[in-house]
Amino acid sequence: MTGTRHMIVEGTVLPIPRANIDTDQIIPAHYLTRIDADGMGEHLFEGMPDGADLLARHPGAAIIVTGENFGCGSSREHAAWALLGRGFRAVIAPSFARIFHENAYNNGVVPVILPQETVDALMSAQTIAIDVAGETLRADGAEPIAFALDPLRKQFVLGGGFLKYLHAKIPAVRAWEAAR
Amino acid sequence: MKRSLFDKIWDAHVVDELPGGNALVFMDLVVAHEITTPPGAIAIEKEFDDELYEPDRIVAMIDHVAPAKDAATALQAQTVRTWAKRQGIRFHDIGNNGICHVLVPERGYVTPGMSVCCGDSHTCTLGALGAFALGIGTTAQAGAMLAGCLILQRPKVMRIEITGELPADATAKDLTLSVIATIGFRGGTGYVLEYTGSAVRALNMEQRMTLCNMAIEAGATTGIIAADATTAAYLAATPAAPAGWTALQADDDAEYAATVTIDGSAIRPVVSWGTNPGENAPVDGAVPADAPAESLAYMDLRPGQALRSIAIDQAFIGSCTNSRIGDLRAAAAVLRGQQVSVPTIITPGSQAVRRQAEREGLHDIFQDAGALWTHSSCGPCLGMSMGVLAAGTRCVSSSNRNFPGRMGDGGRVHLAAPAVVAASAILGRIASPSEITSREVVLA
Repeated sequence: MTGTRHMIVEGTVLPIPRANIDTDQIIPAHYLTRIDADGMGEHLFEGMPDGADLLARHPGAAIIVTGENFGCGSSREHAAWALLGRGFRAVIAPSFARIFHENAYNNGVVPVILPQETVDALMSAQTIAIDVAGETLRADGAEPIAFALDPLRKQFVLGGGFLKYLHAKIPAVRAWEAAR
Repeated sequence: MKRSLFDKIWDAHVVDELPGGNALVFMDLVVAHEITTPPGAIAIEKEFDDELYEPDRIVAMIDHVAPAKDAATALQAQTVRTWAKRQGIRFHDIGNNGICHVLVPERGYVTPGMSVCCGDSHTCTLGALGAFALGIGTTAQAGAMLAGCLILQRPKVMRIEITGELPADATAKDLTLSVIATIGFRGGTGYVLEYTGSAVRALNMEQRMTLCNMAIEAGATTGIIAADATTAAYLAATPAAPAGWTALQADDDAEYAATVTIDGSAIRPVVSWGTNPGENAPVDGAVPADAPAESLAYMDLRPGQALRSIAIDQAFIGSCTNSRIGDLRAAAAVLRGQQVSVPTIITPGSQAVRRQAEREGLHDIFQDAGALWTHSSCGPCLGMSMGVLAAGTRCVSSSNRNFPGRMGDGGRVHLAAPAVVAASAILGRIASPSEITSREVVLA
């Protein structure tokens, strides 16, 4: 559940110019049979009708640029693990489904939200460099584009530690519960 | 400030406000199944001395692949089994199990006003009991088991009022599919859907669960329905028969970020034609002229095509949406004395539902009709174990998702209510239950 974290995510782009890429398309349920987060990358997008073709046409891509509501449907965190396992470090979209959005943060897949027209323009980018800490990105060396990460969850996407963060809250939670 | 039902439950569970508009939100119950729980349980074992916040606040079960289909799924089940035993967690093993969203309410584990989470998107089902119930990922579930809390952004609240009365042939499934079509497949994103109105009040608890079950299919955080006498009677009849809960209500003039009103009397039996649940139309209607080409290409349909002309290869009645006793009775009413013409799988939502159905003789009706009557599991809904579709084949299903590949790579899914699935199974094409009734008249 802890991938390698990156302050700078740089790589070539896999454009998927469609909305509503659901987690069944990202990783079909019949692969959800492990007790760890491994082995998902090789099956990424197997549930997507043109998934194999997309991956073959963009070998080594590290950043997905796609439409609204990416990661909708099933809560399976395997979707984030499959992206990581295949070398994807960031997804740029106008919006994310809630559960995937949190899963991305918790696993070091940077979820970048930008307006639809900006995302449309980025679809044709070759290479994107994302300064995760600085919350800006550059496409093919153009002027930086600013985006905003969740101020709390940013630390998890950069350095992991979600469970450690919550663990430190236990005394406060117990005190709250006792006073409930 | 006047508050919605959801606001009141949220406010009662916020332990602390966190940076960036986040909140630390206490979870009264964590539901844990064998597919999404093991990595989190193992992480807590390795990194935090196996120490859970409160094992009594967890209930676990084997539900997705029950019993195990291979060595890998056996290890998933065994991991949850040994963990639950070691931790003293309430555990429902095969034989005594059910789909989490069917089993948890039927045992009386959830009461109005509670907060509940599970590593399963359809946890919103439990909002039917007036609880705040939401699906989350494996890591977030681990956090809730470790520290008793989730980190959440406070969702907005959309009041969805269903006025009037549903027609006799329209079901909660038709209603929930119609809500998604109305607000849009991602129209609920960032919202809790607070269902109200006379047509909602008239639903029994199982039907309310069907309605709330598909809130996630509109992108919503969850759905919720205020508890009332129907809720109280349901809970009193559960094995746990929980007492001491309070039925919270929205304030009369509560403020909502959005309000939608739907005429319940206009709800028709519907079936999906596309690749998300919002892409649906009346069973007696046609594929819309403006249907997205991409959806139609996957589904191999054309604009204007009559839905009742679409031949099917399989039928499935089950899933956390429609596998409760009322759903099985509705299917049996159509299948009684008939024969299915395509492979038909009927999977009760829990072993308790299965036993009740058998007490009523429903299993005989199904099997006399040529359907396969199975034990409880998530079954064909997610293409993970039994009943997987072959590429290019078409299934009418009482489940909740018609995404590409959902029930098997290349398989096509049409979502509908159990009675529509049953009628379709008989006629081998998408069909209305009224066609079966009228056929009986003709035969007589």
